[in-house]
Amino acid sequence: MSVLTSLLAASPGDPTNPGGGLGGATSTVTNTFTAPHVEYRALMPMLVVFGAATVGILIEAFLPRTRRYWPQVGVSLAGVVVAFCFVVANHGMAETTAADAVSVDGVTLFLQGTILLLALLALLLVAERGTGLVDLDAFTAQGATTPGSGGERAADAAGLRTTEVFPLMLFSVGGMLLFPAANDLLTSFVALEVLSLPLYLLCGLARRRRLLSQEAAMKYFLLGAFSSAFFLYGVALLYGYAGSVRLSDIATAITSSPHSDVLVLAGVALLAVGLLFKVGAVPFHAWTPDVYQGAPTPITAFMAAATKVAAFGALLRITYVALPGLRWDWRPVLWGVAILTMLVGAILAITQRDIKRMLAYSAILNAGYILLGVISTTSKGVSSTLFYLAAYGFATIGAFAVVTLVRESVRGGSDSGDGGEEDSVTVGGEATDLSAWAGLGRRSPLLAACFTVFMLAFAGIPLTSGFTGKFALFTAAIDGGAWPLVIVGVIASAAAAFFYVRVIVLMYFSEPLREQGAGPIVVVPSPMTTVALTVTVALTIALGVLPQMALDLADKAAYFVQ
Amino acid sequence: MTTTRALGSTTGVEITFILIGLLTFGAAVLTVTVRNLVHAALWLVVALGGLAGCYLLLAAEFVAWVQVLIYVGAVAVLLLFGLMLTRAPIGRTTELDSGNRWAAAVVGLATAGVLVSVIGDAVRTTWFDPRQAVVNGTAKAVGTSLFRYWVLPFELLSVLLLAALVGAIVLSRRDVSDDVDAAEGTPRAQATEAEA
Repeated sequence: MSVLTSLLAASPGDPTNPGGGLGGATSTVTNTFTAPHVEYRALMPMLVVFGAATVGILIEAFLPRTRRYWPQVGVSLAGVVVAFCFVVANHGMAETTAADAVSVDGVTLFLQGTILLLALLALLLVAERGTGLVDLDAFTAQGATTPGSGGERAADAAGLRTTEVFPLMLFSVGGMLLFPAANDLLTSFVALEVLSLPLYLLCGLARRRRLLSQEAAMKYFLLGAFSSAFFLYGVALLYGYAGSVRLSDIATAITSSPHSDVLVLAGVALLAVGLLFKVGAVPFHAWTPDVYQGAPTPITAFMAAATKVAAFGALLRITYVALPGLRWDWRPVLWGVAILTMLVGAILAITQRDIKRMLAYSAILNAGYILLGVISTTSKGVSSTLFYLAAYGFATIGAFAVVTLVRESVRGGSDSGDGGEEDSVTVGGEATDLSAWAGLGRRSPLLAACFTVFMLAFAGIPLTSGFTGKFALFTAAIDGGAWPLVIVGVIASAAAAFFYVRVIVLMYFSEPLREQGAGPIVVVPSPMTTVALTVTVALTIALGVLPQMALDLADKAAYFVQ
Repeated sequence: MTTTRALGSTTGVEITFILIGLLTFGAAVLTVTVRNLVHAALWLVVALGGLAGCYLLLAAEFVAWVQVLIYVGAVAVLLLFGLMLTRAPIGRTTELDSGNRWAAAVVGLATAGVLVSVIGDAVRTTWFDPRQAVVNGTAKAVGTSLFRYWVLPFELLSVLLLAALVGAIVLSRRDVSDDVDAAEGTPRAQATEAEA
């Protein structure tokens, strides 16, 4: 007999774990309603971001189309910055609030700060509209028009803009802030949906290659819905086992319950499917390359960096707070997942010809590394995971920012149509094929240098953030007794260095592509992308040269409250 | 409240429950086997309604009425509207047999197997009368629980709905119709003005 019975039979007045589920609520059925205590200060980062998103929707509703862009950019950036200030002001906090639905502790605050910084940089990329000369808007003029139709050209020509991307992105950021902080599985699930749904939509709004983008959105939506269903089924089974969805109650039930483990093992397995899907670990990685390739590049940058931080945050909290008693059951499974993720990511990345797909497989590979920190189950493992997530996030946003600037050139642009401008060259979509990147170092040394920094960081070369992060992760994994995984990790790193360095060699030592005179061109962005690029390069180098401050911060942040 | 007693002795409530359960089961099977899409949708209404009856007999009145409102009301009507507004085959047809139906059957049976074994295991040795033991089903209990323990997720769901609403508008709103020709629809001067 499982605990389910005692739960179903909970009598009025039986104070079984208040807040733990419907069973606990029986004691409160009286005529007076006591409102839960909510510590608003702890929730402020989320509330500010959701508030800014709502203001953004009001802007959409009341301002004329042509005057929405700057208010949207201002509100979004201000919202994220203010939320970040609240995170900083909350430092050292260790409490649960809103009827124990949210726990604000070191890990939460570190990850929330990271997510907000990444969101700030990604917002700069999303807000990029180019200088007066070239239009670099990454989003479609009108999502509803059929790709390639006259309506699409008309909407482009009319200068329509999809400014709704700003509130949608803020909603997603809000969900990401909550996901690593959620202290019960139900809140986790709601946060997962809040962060995912806007991303599904944003993926389908690319300006160029719209069919690919819509396919990506559809794929991401369907697979994401499946993974959410798995997650929810896992939650249901764990509720049946522990009689509660609170992480600490599940931990107690696991250590004290004399019942059969079938329910909890099945529940954890299904939960893991949902989480590993979001982090893009093998064998749940199949969506990653297609979605990363199809989505508008600023959204890819945001998704690759911030979603990974949020999902790994949730994975850390669930494994460290709810499942320490099951360590010997889930660790071998995650060992397998980590090995597969690292090997598949490294090997398939070598075969890619498209830069965005290559970065997608690199994201899978990095998910494998980060799993090492989760597996180590030490406080060192937590802090190294936190550090690596930040280091990886900044480098990823920077790398995708570079991708947005290397464009195809279209000779004698069909848009202009004027006879006299037959020789003019207009800027096309992103030149994502690797052959287009040949000789980039000669045409645009600065941009190539930036990309080189990110590639070296991904490859884990000393004096970049990637080296510090990987060193911390591998040390933590050895401390946790996972040395075979570290060996696999080093082998995967060596294989990965091959394709990262290949891009560098291609940029500096190959002849530029000049066939039909339509080689790729490097566009000059507005200050937005320039700032994002500068900050990410600076952080990537700073975290490699002087990592101690950030490492200390991650060390201090590596504590959970229940 | 929790009493152990012989499985053989049954009451009117239990007999009604079993009958409604069988009705629900039969309707559910028919939903996936009939050859007429509209009939399938209507059988789904019966299955969902039967489930609401089961909830009611288990004293979960709030869930029962939510089931009627959301599933029998909104979801089923949405399905029927979907059939009406698209070119779905509304007559008797064999197109409904998908090649995946055996895989789907296996998944369905496996899910049912897990649920039946889990719940069977839980209440195998205990008999409990839901009407006496569970007061969670009343609207008041659900409301208290919702706004006391689940207030944050509850409020967040409104954020989710808002995001979905905005997303639906973004994906479907047309300021420029699809069949407009670029050259005719907008004068060139306006286009260059917007680009600048």
